Amino acid sequence: MTVVAVDLDRGLALCAGGDGARSTVETALVEPVQPGEVLLVHAGTALARLLYPTEVPAA
Amino acid sequence: MKFVDEFRDAELGRAVAGEILSLVEPGRHYKLMEVCGGHTHSIYKYGIDDLLPANVELVHGPGCPVCVIPMGRVDDGIAVAHQEGVIFTCFGDMMRVPGSNGSLLDAKAAGADIRMVYSPLDALRIAKQNPDREVVFFAIGFETTAPSTALTLKRARAEHQTNFSVMCSHVTIVPPVRALLESPDLRLDGFIGPGHVSTVVGGRPFEFIPADYGRPVVIAGFEPLDILQAIAMILRQLAEDRCEVENQYKRVVPYEGNLRALEVMAEVFELRPHFEWRGLGFISHSGLKLSDAYADLDAEVRFSVPGVRVADPKACQCGEVLKGVIKPWECKVFGTACTPERPIGTCMVSSEGACAAYYNFGRFARERQVV
Repeated sequence: MTVVAVDLDRGLALCAGGDGARSTVETALVEPVQPGEVLLVHAGTALARLLYPTEVPAA
Repeated sequence: MKFVDEFRDAELGRAVAGEILSLVEPGRHYKLMEVCGGHTHSIYKYGIDDLLPANVELVHGPGCPVCVIPMGRVDDGIAVAHQEGVIFTCFGDMMRVPGSNGSLLDAKAAGADIRMVYSPLDALRIAKQNPDREVVFFAIGFETTAPSTALTLKRARAEHQTNFSVMCSHVTIVPPVRALLESPDLRLDGFIGPGHVSTVVGGRPFEFIPADYGRPVVIAGFEPLDILQAIAMILRQLAEDRCEVENQYKRVVPYEGNLRALEVMAEVFELRPHFEWRGLGFISHSGLKLSDAYADLDAEVRFSVPGVRVADPKACQCGEVLKGVIKPWECKVFGTACTPERPIGTCMVSSEGACAAYYNFGRFARERQVV
């Protein structure tokens, strides 16, 4: 999910999924986060920040 | 979509499938287990097994959170849900898992206040909105989901939300994998490691597999190219007589895991001496309970829980499916008495369950064409 807005005081972020649906996400495990970052979210909690995909196999 | 489209490229997929073909020895049969139910779902959704040579067999592991919950545990949840003043919350899949006398969905139809939530945080929100009720969250899942429960418990504690508690059925992935490796009726050549669990625990917990059992592990993502590339990496290790833990899913999984998540889990949970797994029986140190510091938020302390062990229905072969001993379609009730609409076994409930994946994507073919 992509971070849309950050609530630093509560450790939460508003995030948007690939379909545009938005939900509140717990960010304590990946802080600090910034709008535009892509997070792996599971059960409402961000577990990781996605890095640039370097492992796409070469054709 | 970034991070997705790159990993669904059909041309690249064919190229990796060709690489896989070049890595296999014609006379050898390869059995690779995908531990995670998310991988099982992707494999059948994208038809990945159809791209593999006939002598590369994918075996489905015990990594579907819903599938491994025993019937007795469902009965425990229903018993709590029926208690006066309780709002019982759980994930959607969990509502359809059969207990010995129906599912949580049946209990809801019979009048119990059972609500589906997307996260433990949703359950905590319900507790805030209903201060005169007791709100219980039925926590299931592996190390992927456990941090979310742990953070919610910390938040409940910080916000003095005393009408919230957790019925903890979280499990850990390493003990069942070790149990499978000790199983005499299953010979495996390598493992596709669970990508999202590894986001939390990292790669080190899997190092015992090459060290003690001489089998390669490749932690993999969930897109078609991720899985194909992971299979190629395992086969390359076997071809080069190497055996180690490799990380295909580097864009998400740091090898050391998420240290903050591990810290919060260590604070909130402790290992149970043993925990019952559906089809696998009792496995030592494989389940989590709330630590003494959080015992006041433990639903099993707060409420009367029967805790009775219930045998699976005789017709159901989820145990054999979870151990990879049989394929879903080899179960006697697959697709007939047991369907996603009316499941008998847990593997037919969740989209991550092997039986549901086979059924939903129409993959009933018992013979595959060689690429």
